[in-house]
Amino acid sequence: MPQITYLQAISNALRDEMRRDSSVFVLGEDIGVFGGAFKITQGFLEEFGPDRVIDTPISESGFVGAACAAATVGFRPVVEFQFIDFIACAFDQIVNYAAKCYYRWGIPMPVVFRGPTGGGIHAGPYHSQNPEAWFAHTPGLKVVLPSTAKDAKGLLTAAIRDNNPVVYLENKFLYRHYREEVPDDDYVVPIGVAALRTVGNDLSIISYGAAVHLCVEVARMLEKEGSSVEVVDLRSLTPLDRETVLASVKKTGRALIVHEANLTAGFGAEVAALIAQEAFEYLDAPVMRVASLDVPVPFSPPLEMAMLPSVDKIRAAAGQLLAY
Amino acid sequence: MAQTWPQIALPDYPSEIQADPRELSFSREQLLKMYSAMSLARTFEEKLAALYRQGKIFGAVYLGMGQEATSVGSVSQLQQGDLFSTVARNLSAWFYRGVKPEHVLARWFGKDQSPSNGRELGLFLADLNEVGIFPYHNGSMASWIPAGAGYALAFKMRRQPNVCLCFTGDGATSPGDFYEGVNFAAIHKLPLVIICEVNQFAYSTPPQLQMPVENVADRAAGFGIYTETAFGNDLFTVIAAARRGIEHARAGNGPALIEFKTFRRRGHGEHDDMAYVSKELRAFWEERDPVAMYRRWLTGRASIDEAELKRVDDDSDRSVDAAVEYADSLPFPKPETVGDRLFAPSPHDPKPEDRSNHVEPIDNPAIPALTASGERKTGGHF
Repeated sequence: MPQITYLQAISNALRDEMRRDSSVFVLGEDIGVFGGAFKITQGFLEEFGPDRVIDTPISESGFVGAACAAATVGFRPVVEFQFIDFIACAFDQIVNYAAKCYYRWGIPMPVVFRGPTGGGIHAGPYHSQNPEAWFAHTPGLKVVLPSTAKDAKGLLTAAIRDNNPVVYLENKFLYRHYREEVPDDDYVVPIGVAALRTVGNDLSIISYGAAVHLCVEVARMLEKEGSSVEVVDLRSLTPLDRETVLASVKKTGRALIVHEANLTAGFGAEVAALIAQEAFEYLDAPVMRVASLDVPVPFSPPLEMAMLPSVDKIRAAAGQLLAY
Repeated sequence: MAQTWPQIALPDYPSEIQADPRELSFSREQLLKMYSAMSLARTFEEKLAALYRQGKIFGAVYLGMGQEATSVGSVSQLQQGDLFSTVARNLSAWFYRGVKPEHVLARWFGKDQSPSNGRELGLFLADLNEVGIFPYHNGSMASWIPAGAGYALAFKMRRQPNVCLCFTGDGATSPGDFYEGVNFAAIHKLPLVIICEVNQFAYSTPPQLQMPVENVADRAAGFGIYTETAFGNDLFTVIAAARRGIEHARAGNGPALIEFKTFRRRGHGEHDDMAYVSKELRAFWEERDPVAMYRRWLTGRASIDEAELKRVDDDSDRSVDAAVEYADSLPFPKPETVGDRLFAPSPHDPKPEDRSNHVEPIDNPAIPALTASGERKTGGHF
């Protein structure tokens, strides 16, 4: 099996689905001739032509609305946001048109909104954000965040074949930093199924996206010190795999939730509430969270590093919980 | 004491329809079909307003009285397979296209009537297959212009000779979505037709506070698209202008924007007494009520018997009475169905047993730039 990057896995999934299904088309800024700011769609224009690889004007709300509409009459559009921060410009179309269409009329809208999230690359307040909680809060949207190349391909394939609007959030740090063996063949990672990245008995760390790799690193460190840590990678926030989260916490009795998005009203609060309500009797320690600080993502490296979650911050919180 | 907007110069629109019936290519049945839709909408809305005042309608009520000619005239020019979206003011367009009044009223009553089944107000309807009304986002009337461009894009991609027609209003040409949708459609020469009904008030705000130019058509100049501005209460003026716009778009020449000057005869909703509208403006437009103008033309210049129009009006009364009976008799949606139909079933939906302890370890080595411990001063590059 070939080793490919997280970015290549996304690109392969998109290309494979476009080859398999002529109703899939892509649109976004600079994705055709230029191949996309991150080159996800490099070579797509040559292969699929300008009808199916549409370079749009800079108008997120306009092309998102158009994609949503086409999705109700037999197409499966995949919208690229050059940086996910720009999804704010299309917020209304996503939360008011896409999310509510099926509930209002029973008309399915199979559309994917994808784009690069995340910080740690010194891109400042408008090219580093993690907006998943905005969309997880909106009924009618599915929200997925792959942490591995294999999941990036399988989740994107599932998202394109899903009959609902799916917000597919990539992590741009992982684009070229993460590489693994990814099957060439057609497979899906079902939306709404979490994965255990390590199996353990003393502490559950629940995370998603790039932060999973920090958690796995902490689990490896603690393993050497004699603690057994289970890392639960949610992979999908909506629908949420509550069963896997609760089974893990009931087994370990300790829960730490980690995400790169900032803390307050972040998705971790939802997971913490779930655990508090459904697994209270099993807990041996308070539920803790590690997340970014509640500030915009600053540009200067020392500020940005101070803001983001890190292996050290997670390890410190895990240590507190294990010693509780 | 409520203030009224200052008087503006009134245009010299005639108060009678000008068309010569001998020069029109409409059969008697076609003329009566248009009248029937307008009459039914007027009767229906009068009933709806009465029911609202009796406290029999949940929430607010929004009426389209005064905009029957723009509604019926525009959709009368659509063909099989064309799509359109409507504003709260286009009930007569629905009736012209065959939407059943009893179904509309049942939705107003919050009853279990498809396709919304109590999930949406009675004034919004999407029905792609039967009527050709596309699903839209009604938070703002500009927000479905991008959607209209998307349906037009779908037609173009399929080489399908259809158009997508969007009704919108003067106020809705202010938000950015209007420009983003028109721009996209103009760049790709998409078959999008925008029918902009300038009904003088966006809620209470007049056009002179929406735009610094006289006409909406002036705003479209930057997109190089086909535009017309016409009087919207003369049915045959509407039909001619809408036809030119639709033919332009259908021929592959790109979007058309047809602006009709008209008047919203009622408040934004029935809770709004329109105190901000001057008596002179009201009187000017009341003399040019589109249903009355068309009725006078039918009995006058088109020589249709008064008795025949009376029969149509009586049919409208009977249909609306029957609609009330039907809507009353229909059950409400069951409370326990409130969570249904949030997500459409999909081929890879997980089964409950898939959701337990799926182990898939990450064996990769750590990513140094991401997971470094200790003094971590910088991140990485992408």
